[in-house]
Amino acid sequence: MIGPANARPVRTAGLVALNLLGVVAFAWPFVLPRLLPGGSLHERDAPVFLLAMVVCLAGVVFLDLDRGIGPKTVALLGVLGAAMVALRLPGFVAGFSAMFIVVLVGGNAFGPSFGFLLGAVGTFASGLFIGGLGPWLPFQMISVGWVGLGAGLLPRGGMRVRIASLAAYGFVTGYLFGAVMNLWSWPFVARGSTIGWMPGGGLVANLRHYAAYYAATSAVWDTFRAVGNAMMVLAIGAPLLRTLDRAAVRMRLDVQATGREAPPAEDR
Amino acid sequence: MSEAVLYRSVSFSYPGVRRRALDEVSLSVPEGAFALAVGPTGSGKTTLLRAANGLVPHFTGGTFSGRVVTGGRDTLDHAPRHLADVIAYVPQDPAASFVLDRVEDELAYGMENLGVAPAHMRRRVEEVLDLLAIEPLRDRSVRSLSGGERQRVTIAAALAAGPRILVLDEPTSQLDPQGAEDVLAALQRLVHDHGMTVLIAEHRLERVAGFVDLAIGCAAGRTTVGSPAEVLERIDSGPPVARLARMLGWSPAPLTVREARAIAGRSVIVPEAPVPAPDPFSPGAALLEADGLVAGYAEREILHGIQLRLFEGEVIVLMGRNGAGKTTLLRCLAGVHRPAAGTVRVRGRTPRPGVDIALCPQEPESVLYCETVAEEIAVTLRARGVDGRSEDELRRFGIEDLAARHPRDCSAGQRLLVATAAMVAGGPAVVLLDEPTRGLDPEAKAGLARFLRSVAEGGGAAIVATHDVELAAAIASRVVMLAAGEVIADGSPMQVLGDSRVFAPQMTRVFGAGWLTPEQVAAAAVPV
Amino acid sequence: MHPVAWIVWSAAAGIVAMTTSNPFYLVVLIAAAAVVHSSHRRPGPSSRSFRIFLLGGLGAIVLRTALVVFGTVDAENAAAAALEGSRLAALLVVFGTFNSVADPFGVLRLAPRRLHEPALAAALALSIAPRTIAAVARVRQAQELRGIRIGRLRSLTALAVPVLETGMEEAMTLAESMDSRGHGRGRRSRYRPERWEVASGATAIVSGVCTVAFAAALLAGRGGLAPSTFPLRWPDVSPLLVVAAAGFALPGFLPAGRAA
Repeated sequence: MIGPANARPVRTAGLVALNLLGVVAFAWPFVLPRLLPGGSLHERDAPVFLLAMVVCLAGVVFLDLDRGIGPKTVALLGVLGAAMVALRLPGFVAGFSAMFIVVLVGGNAFGPSFGFLLGAVGTFASGLFIGGLGPWLPFQMISVGWVGLGAGLLPRGGMRVRIASLAAYGFVTGYLFGAVMNLWSWPFVARGSTIGWMPGGGLVANLRHYAAYYAATSAVWDTFRAVGNAMMVLAIGAPLLRTLDRAAVRMRLDVQATGREAPPAEDR
Repeated sequence: MSEAVLYRSVSFSYPGVRRRALDEVSLSVPEGAFALAVGPTGSGKTTLLRAANGLVPHFTGGTFSGRVVTGGRDTLDHAPRHLADVIAYVPQDPAASFVLDRVEDELAYGMENLGVAPAHMRRRVEEVLDLLAIEPLRDRSVRSLSGGERQRVTIAAALAAGPRILVLDEPTSQLDPQGAEDVLAALQRLVHDHGMTVLIAEHRLERVAGFVDLAIGCAAGRTTVGSPAEVLERIDSGPPVARLARMLGWSPAPLTVREARAIAGRSVIVPEAPVPAPDPFSPGAALLEADGLVAGYAEREILHGIQLRLFEGEVIVLMGRNGAGKTTLLRCLAGVHRPAAGTVRVRGRTPRPGVDIALCPQEPESVLYCETVAEEIAVTLRARGVDGRSEDELRRFGIEDLAARHPRDCSAGQRLLVATAAMVAGGPAVVLLDEPTRGLDPEAKAGLARFLRSVAEGGGAAIVATHDVELAAAIASRVVMLAAGEVIADGSPMQVLGDSRVFAPQMTRVFGAGWLTPEQVAAAAVPV
Repeated sequence: MHPVAWIVWSAAAGIVAMTTSNPFYLVVLIAAAAVVHSSHRRPGPSSRSFRIFLLGGLGAIVLRTALVVFGTVDAENAAAAALEGSRLAALLVVFGTFNSVADPFGVLRLAPRRLHEPALAAALALSIAPRTIAAVARVRQAQELRGIRIGRLRSLTALAVPVLETGMEEAMTLAESMDSRGHGRGRRSRYRPERWEVASGATAIVSGVCTVAFAAALLAGRGGLAPSTFPLRWPDVSPLLVVAAAGFALPGFLPAGRAA
């Protein structure tokens, strides 16, 4: 697999840790009551948990970056992030946003860890750009990041295989993204209603509540995203991937020099 | 004197390209030199520049042999970032090289990377703000700057980190004559007063030849070094005065207007320029008529009542400093910008964009998206519903042999011609070109001139906006000068260019109003 | 105003909004945010976020109240839902204010050293974005001059590919520029960090004190933070907490300082 962000296996550990934390940040309403003795959680503790999760996420979103990602990755993130910013506002219809095509092809061309960074950085930048900063931002960053990460894990092979799998992936993540994003605010927004979170109510009951909540508030909205993602990938995915693949080759790291040792690579 | 940059049998080829971009190059740029790399596109001069700070091969990949030693450090052992304290590189497109948003922060970025102490940083920022005369810009966003301001900020940012060597790739290509003069004068001050070493590449020799004291001639990856006069003579290139010198057998060739005047004064008699017939085109039908054009944007009016006639067979060159309204005028004529008042007619009717009139905007390369050059032309023909062959359209520019190539595999100059061809394909009678000469080498310029002739001879007409005085002198049948949104001069090139201090071509400056091209002068000159 | 002061202000105001569903406190808090917005909003599109978030807040009240249909519809349930919605609305208004007053580049400059590169990437995205938007418009218009209308999904290629190609070209130039200017050498110093002025200190301290007042009331179970809806009763109001909520208007009366 090509891509500047993939060169350093050490970073994988950081990414894994970060994403585990992300899972906890989203899924705590399902698992936490079970872990605490006596299910002593109260409804009104939800905001406290939310706050704690925001702080944790904000702090560790970029946990794995201590070794430096280098100017090439930074520049690519900047340019593709700018494309996400540019597409965030004009290109949205209900849950669909044209911004996702950038995350999908970017992750697919440059690999999972680049895809994750792109989703997170681009979402952060567009939040700043349109004035959309708030406690939801870390959750958005993580979940858009996951979309990019998954796009980088799809099967390689011929362009047809890539486009078909990316389109299917875009369709599925259209719903998954919404389901995950709603999760962070669910205990808070739907508190006390019959489709709200029941602290200590058990995994199955809570899942059932959440499913009802999702179906009522988001399913239609998210259909636009699912269909839109797939259509965008099918329509322009191939030429965009070709462009990015070519760029990946041109921004190569495997510099060869004859007569002497190869010069030091990107990061010393 | 010691060397700032030393090349020792350097060869380099880009990945997947057999031909060497640099072929056994050995030369040295002494400290304190103002050196010019000159040669046609593809001759290796950009590669030479980029090898000086290690971008070649660290960024491009490819096969590199030999050694480049910059400020005493071998570039193979030192990536560009580890040379940043001794050498700064200013790329061709400064707008894309900005890292931070505010001018002041951009100036400090390099120093932050080098870990310069904050107090020292602050002092150095103030210094370069003064040195490049950009103090008023300090709080501006870099994205809001004009071309000349951008270029000066880029140079200031490069200087702030305190390098001893400055490398610039075509620093004046986006500037009007006065802006170019300012930038080059600033560079010269750095060399003369501050002992910097400056290495630049430039196509427009009439602008730089007088400033530099060393030239590196590049041709097919090989180089020759010497005084600018020698080198330009050897590679058969040079500003118009040097071309004239070659035609008249002067040696050594002059490089500046001043030198040319001195030689001309003692060696030839050039008569008064022939006064042209009052109207060489004896206009039949006016092809395009614009009356009372007023246009602008929400906050600002740009054009204040423009009157313009374009006759069959004419090539009008539209000149004026950056911001004078050239682009807005062309956009109004082409029907893509709605004027607030006034009318545009082509053959008496409201023009249909793309059918009666074609506009090739600035940076037209950004329309290319097909897999081959021929397909790129065919797409336009299809979209316009015109029957035609891509080859015929390409032939008008003399680039028919590029048909099967991928647009990305063409040189910058070729790509610009391809894009221009794609924008004008299908034969609209009126062709408008907005600054088509940016970064064009002489060969590509010839292709452009060839196309404009074919338009004029085919009963069409063209308007070309450009800063390139020498191109204007060569192709214009009429020159229209804009300033602050008004036409301030409209007449034959002789009248308009001959009458201008800023826009006069070199021949006018040497031999007086009326003389435009070396060919003209050479034909009329009588040896003493 | 130092960006950290804005972050403290909005976090504190956000916490206050979470501690209470008493409409009197929430209204005062929203009014305080409006004062801050009107005196500190920055020029440009981000100042619109206050209004957008205000509308979003109203939407939240409506949406939250509508969720009642999934249970028993009566006055008590509706009131409880509406109060929950107003809490959300206040939270949204607080962040809308933050977005309209804080300089995004200032916020990004706060990134700690190890986050320098991603923060830089975000800053780049932010400053390149207007150029990308302009490029989209330019390419679209140029293609239309060729006769290619960018309307249908298929013709998007003619728009998307050139914009992306240009972007990749620029990314290369940018990466070279960064490397040529010493990016990634390991050492770093910082140019002209934002100054922490008296106004910033005052904002942070007052925001903190006001939040402590609400937190204390929450722990003590006093002050009418959570008005009873079963049975539905007129809420208690503590004058002290009204003053504390109004305290968030303080930065509205302080000078903006250099970075504003």
